[in-house]
Amino acid sequence: MKTFLVLVFSFALAAAAAWARAPEQVVKAKVTMASLVARPDTVVKAAVMVEILPGYHINDHHPTLDYLIPTEIKLEPSKPVTAKDITYPKGEPKKFAFSDAPLSVYEGTVRVDVALQLERKTLPGNYEVKGQLAYQACNDHACLPPASVPLSFSFKVVRRVASVRRSN
Amino acid sequence: MDLNESESAAGGGATGQPEPAGAAPRKASRGKLLIGAVLAVALVAGLYLVNRYWIAPALRTQAMSNGDHPEAPPISLTDIEGKKLDLADYKGKVVVLDFWATWCGPCRIEIPGLIELQNKYANRGFSVIGISMDDESGSVVEFYKEFKMNYPVAVGNQGVGELYGGIFGLPTTFLIGRDGRIYAKHTGATGVDVMEDEVQQLLAMSPDTEKTSFKPALAAGTSTKIELGDPAAIDSEVPGVNLAKLTAAQKESLKKQLTEQHCPCGCNFTLLKCRQVDRACRTSLKLAQEQMDKILKSGV
Repeated sequence: MKTFLVLVFSFALAAAAAWARAPEQVVKAKVTMASLVARPDTVVKAAVMVEILPGYHINDHHPTLDYLIPTEIKLEPSKPVTAKDITYPKGEPKKFAFSDAPLSVYEGTVRVDVALQLERKTLPGNYEVKGQLAYQACNDHACLPPASVPLSFSFKVVRRVASVRRSN
Repeated sequence: MDLNESESAAGGGATGQPEPAGAAPRKASRGKLLIGAVLAVALVAGLYLVNRYWIAPALRTQAMSNGDHPEAPPISLTDIEGKKLDLADYKGKVVVLDFWATWCGPCRIEIPGLIELQNKYANRGFSVIGISMDDESGSVVEFYKEFKMNYPVAVGNQGVGELYGGIFGLPTTFLIGRDGRIYAKHTGATGVDVMEDEVQQLLAMSPDTEKTSFKPALAAGTSTKIELGDPAAIDSEVPGVNLAKLTAAQKESLKKQLTEQHCPCGCNFTLLKCRQVDRACRTSLKLAQEQMDKILKSGV
């Protein structure tokens, strides 16, 4: 019992010290491709899972107030791949002291869907589309500067299957 | 409960069924485990609260009252009205230096309080100075007019933020005494009553008694220690790293090495480029400093 209590006390001290440190990274983002292989003239889909540290929030892609910085995925031009659609989640309304009306924000984990269009003439090979998730995070009493997390969408393009004509 | 039941509960009386061997000791150890788990949770929560609300504030007060008041780094900018804004011109005045931004909600709560302080104490040798961390001045000018701000405001830059130890949360507010030294730092929206208490203390004191008599407010967001940036590191060819100890050849060697390695932060830049475009990146800063330390140790 004594040994157990000593261990518990040591753990508690370490935990208290850990809480005292400021968080290093408030937002993380992870890309998951729906498929790692694609064909020309098709759409490649991916999900970007955005994890926001508890206690913090980032603004909706369409922020409630015009002075707030929106969360946005920006993709670098990567011909023959173009961004066809980026679908942002709906934010949660949350009341803050500095606003009369609730603000739409993202908290916890949210998902952004990205659709990339491959041109018809896309040659086979490995492709990487780079981008970033731009955001600006706040907690209840302070705001961090605008920041971004790098994103990478990697996939392989294979030849279109030649159409087969039936002979009879 | 009659005597028979109590005798049974005690582990088998003359008339009750005897319990299986070992059952009583197992129940007792499970009970101890449960008590231990509850104690552990209570202990962790208790230690956190004690540290946050008692030990840490006491340590902060101790640090401040031991004369931990660094000189406020110089600021020389042009305010949004086109006038020169030089912190040196405010020596002899009590100054609240407020780093803020138009996109920062908590800043918007705090600013009306600062306007109130300016109105109340400006004729007693006090001024608020606002340093906006917006990227451009257009939105700042609009905000200035909308909020009817009554103190000088300039658009700052990363260099100014780094001189003040790095501005990692907005608003960040420094209280500067008439001797030009920093007496308190608040991160996050701070109540006007808290700042007014500190302003009143400094206004009431002579520059000789400020250092020993000042008591900072023990509000959440008050810093334990004011750490300022190194000007030599801020203006460095490798931003954030003071190259003063390197010879010219060592500097070139360091820069070459930093262009040969990519920063693992995910930016896809070389370490040198990452330092230049993202001065806040702690990964490239740490690696660049380690690289410099290796060169200094090797002497090459």
